[in-house]
Amino acid sequence: MAATSSLDRAVVGDRPRPTPDLVLFLSFAALSAFGILMVYTASRALLETQGLDPSSLMVKQAIFAVVGLVLFLLMSVIDYRDLAGWSVPLYVITLALLGFVLTTAPVLEVQRWIQIGPFQFQPSELAKLTVIVVLAAVLAPAREEGMKWRRLLTALALVAVPAALIFIQPDLGTMLVLGFITLVVLFVAGTTMPQLVTLLATGAAGVVAVFKLKLLRDYQLARLQSLIDPSADPLGIGYNRIQSEIAIGSGGFFGKGLFGGALTNLSYVPAQPTDFIFTAVGEQLGFVGGTLVMVAYALLLWRLLVIAANARDRFGTLLAVGVAAMVSFQVFVNIGMTIGIMPVTGLPLPLLSAGGSAYLTTALALGIANSVWMRRTPVPGR
Amino acid sequence: MKTGWRLGVLGIIFVGMFTLLFVRLWFVQVAASAEYERQAQNRLVDIESIPAPRGLMVDRSGRALVTSVFVPHVLVDRSKVPAVDEDRLVQQLSGLLSIPALEIWTKFEAAGSGALVDLGGVDTDTAYYIWEHRSDLIGVRIVETPERRYPLGAVAGHIVGYTGKPSAEQLQADPELDPNAAVGKGGLEAAYDTYLQGTPGFEAFRVNARGSILEELQGREPVIGNSLHLNIDLDLQQVTEQALRDAIDLANQIKRQSGSYNGLARRGAIVVLDPRNGDVLSMAAVPAFDPALLREVTSRQLQALVDSDEFSYNDLAIAGQYPPASTFKAVTYVAAAEEDMWPEGVTGPEDRTECSAQLKAPFSDGSQQVWRNWTYPRDDGYLNLHEAFARSCNVYFWEVALDIWNTYKGTDREDLLQQWARDLGFGSKTGIDLPGEQDGLVPDRALFERYKQLQLENPDIGLLAEDRLTTASPWFGGDLLQMAVGQGSMLATPLQLAVAYSALVNGGTVWEPHVVARITDPEGNDVLQVVPTAVRQVPLHPETVQMLRDDMRRVTTVGTAASAFAPMGSAAARVGGKTGTAQMPKVCAVRDANDKCLQYRDSDRTSWFVGAAPIDDPRYVVVVMVDEGGGGSQVAAPAARFLFQYLLGLDTTEIVAGDRNEY
Repeated sequence: MAATSSLDRAVVGDRPRPTPDLVLFLSFAALSAFGILMVYTASRALLETQGLDPSSLMVKQAIFAVVGLVLFLLMSVIDYRDLAGWSVPLYVITLALLGFVLTTAPVLEVQRWIQIGPFQFQPSELAKLTVIVVLAAVLAPAREEGMKWRRLLTALALVAVPAALIFIQPDLGTMLVLGFITLVVLFVAGTTMPQLVTLLATGAAGVVAVFKLKLLRDYQLARLQSLIDPSADPLGIGYNRIQSEIAIGSGGFFGKGLFGGALTNLSYVPAQPTDFIFTAVGEQLGFVGGTLVMVAYALLLWRLLVIAANARDRFGTLLAVGVAAMVSFQVFVNIGMTIGIMPVTGLPLPLLSAGGSAYLTTALALGIANSVWMRRTPVPGR
Repeated sequence: MKTGWRLGVLGIIFVGMFTLLFVRLWFVQVAASAEYERQAQNRLVDIESIPAPRGLMVDRSGRALVTSVFVPHVLVDRSKVPAVDEDRLVQQLSGLLSIPALEIWTKFEAAGSGALVDLGGVDTDTAYYIWEHRSDLIGVRIVETPERRYPLGAVAGHIVGYTGKPSAEQLQADPELDPNAAVGKGGLEAAYDTYLQGTPGFEAFRVNARGSILEELQGREPVIGNSLHLNIDLDLQQVTEQALRDAIDLANQIKRQSGSYNGLARRGAIVVLDPRNGDVLSMAAVPAFDPALLREVTSRQLQALVDSDEFSYNDLAIAGQYPPASTFKAVTYVAAAEEDMWPEGVTGPEDRTECSAQLKAPFSDGSQQVWRNWTYPRDDGYLNLHEAFARSCNVYFWEVALDIWNTYKGTDREDLLQQWARDLGFGSKTGIDLPGEQDGLVPDRALFERYKQLQLENPDIGLLAEDRLTTASPWFGGDLLQMAVGQGSMLATPLQLAVAYSALVNGGTVWEPHVVARITDPEGNDVLQVVPTAVRQVPLHPETVQMLRDDMRRVTTVGTAASAFAPMGSAAARVGGKTGTAQMPKVCAVRDANDKCLQYRDSDRTSWFVGAAPIDDPRYVVVVMVDEGGGGSQVAAPAARFLFQYLLGLDTTEIVAGDRNEY
């Protein structure tokens, strides 16, 4: 009797309340908090020499973290299935912003930001999210195995437009993220082997064409070349990589201790609070700290894959997969660049790098994934 | 869900990506951490090396020949100059230092990217200007750099030598060596480089990424190198150099008066040695060498000087190889006396034989050659050994050689005369503490056979010296006769003659000549005390030595040099010596760019005089050589006489031509 009543409870009234993914949330929160601390250690010395408040960047990052937390919770509450309906306006707004940014004055030879009060907004960050949502919406109705070419090409065409606009900025890193997201989502959405091979071959041909036709700017080429021999140009773009690799290497197993990193404290690594934030981790907290950070990301990705596997519909699965693709690619390329196995592409480290647009984008994306998780089981009565 | 395997593949890809990151992180932070730590330290501490001044050189009474002073130099640290700014910086420096931009670029490229480039010394105003504008001139430094100074200019230039940047091989051999350091390249600077080099100091700063100094760390003051105390006497050195120039002028004056000559005298050398210990008291050579000139003139101007024969890296006193001519008769003299070899019909030094106008040398193989004495067509009367030496009778010494040839030809004693020559230091380096010394040449049968073989194998080979031996022939008695009077293939440096004569007059001790007496550290403590080194003790009977001294005195009082020494009056008897007049068959008149001779001309004779004083207890041996200077009695002997007057504290009298006798 008792057994029956419990089964009844599950089916009838008293349905299980939608629980958030605790591991996902805790990883998100831990990385965010840790990011604020790292941003402080990496920026205070430089700000001090510039006569600014040494904690100003940290405070800014903390504000983003609070806003990010709100957005995460907001996205968790919103039913992800409503996003499908948002995909068209979201796509149009994103294209409009990407178009607008190209009309602004270039900063350091690139047009990437829109100034909003004291903050800079980077539409290419929003584009990542848009592409995930649009791809998921377009590909969800597809057959689980054996995608139609027509659908595949539609998806590619939809990504191509924002990707092209981002390429013009130019922002090679973000373009590569979009490429990776597209590839991964298409794969999970059911592309056949011939389709996948064609896709990869076209991509490879595209890369060759970019080099041959000199579509890359000189500095982009130089960055790729610096991967091969950074010491060939120690004061050029390879400088960042050499400095960051040395800083991380000198950290050793346990690191120099918090605030103990000489290279970090003396601002030896350029762009350290942003793209090279992992350098601060490596030098100060050593191999142990770096490994813990990677474990946190691994937990995030594990949860995202679990969410994808348990989503109630294919739209949810593809959303979670898109978010996982975005996070994994950025983590790999960013950390890889600081330890010398990836070129310097200017991709932020999710949740750790200083910068609002990237942080909020990741927070939103993880919120969406959490929303997918919370609605994983078919809830009766809905 | 059918997509499960696809998510699985994605999971595996993620695991792969993270594994890659993890392995690389392990390598960077654990496996190779020490190397990264070292590089990190290098980035945090800026070490600026302060070059050490090289040690001083002082003469035997402590007067400075070479000193070091600090001069502000402009250095560019290319590793601190962003590549995009380099062009602008070079333009700025070019204007500031009045150096063509191209020259700066050449120096940059020679030093390599990221290197520290020394653009040379500047005056204090420029140095201050650069220092004040250092924020506009990123990577440019003013470094107080030691430079050599020569208070007496070119005096003793060949002995002092010169310094320069280390060669590629030196840098490879010693990775610690600063590419901008000065290392010895010639003369004493090279021979005693390790002693002269000081210990560089450094300044160390803790810096931030933009090179701003945060803190000065413990540095180290540079320490000056050790001082060389020379045996050279600066007064004597100056007198010697003047005497050499005067002798060359005298030779050319005689040539112009006679109106018949093949070429002017442009080269010469004088060596003054202490025969009691091998101390080099003075040593001069023309073409001279002025170490200061190397910095003052452009390389093009320098090449013009070298081409015009007014400047040479080559010290003829130690590297000039000439037939010693009649000065070598002293060797034949002692060989005759010690080995009991005499002209036909002569049994001892007192027996006389005819110094005929010519010698029809009857060789034991039946062949006969005719040799003319310098008095030809006159004969020179009947002479014994003493008179033959004083009058430089060739026939007498030829006959001594003939006796050796006819007695020992083909036996192991055939090289008796060569053995005496080699024992006295001919044919090998004397071991003087200067680089660039030459061996000279003592010819013998083995040498001729070797070269004959070489020429058979390769007809194009230049033999011995391109202008001295033009055909490969077997060793004949005639070759030995030539050698007995210092001609033929016999070659010696002025220093070798000084060493050999020192041994002859001091009783047989062959000294290793030394320029440096001792080396002291900056506090004045002895680092090295040069002890006179005897290379060999040649067994000479004291009677032979005294006899030779007496006969050398005969040369300056009644012999070939009597007219040259006449201005000394009775003091000529305190001096002894021997004249020499070498025949140089051909010299090169025109050379091509590869130094290959295109055209030869007849050469004038080399003028020699070797003397010792006070002859009864010699303290000085003087060798004077003037290339194409004419007769030894005419030019070299008067110059030597002038030096002996100076050395013996007598009133010096002008160097004027002596009688022309002995050819």
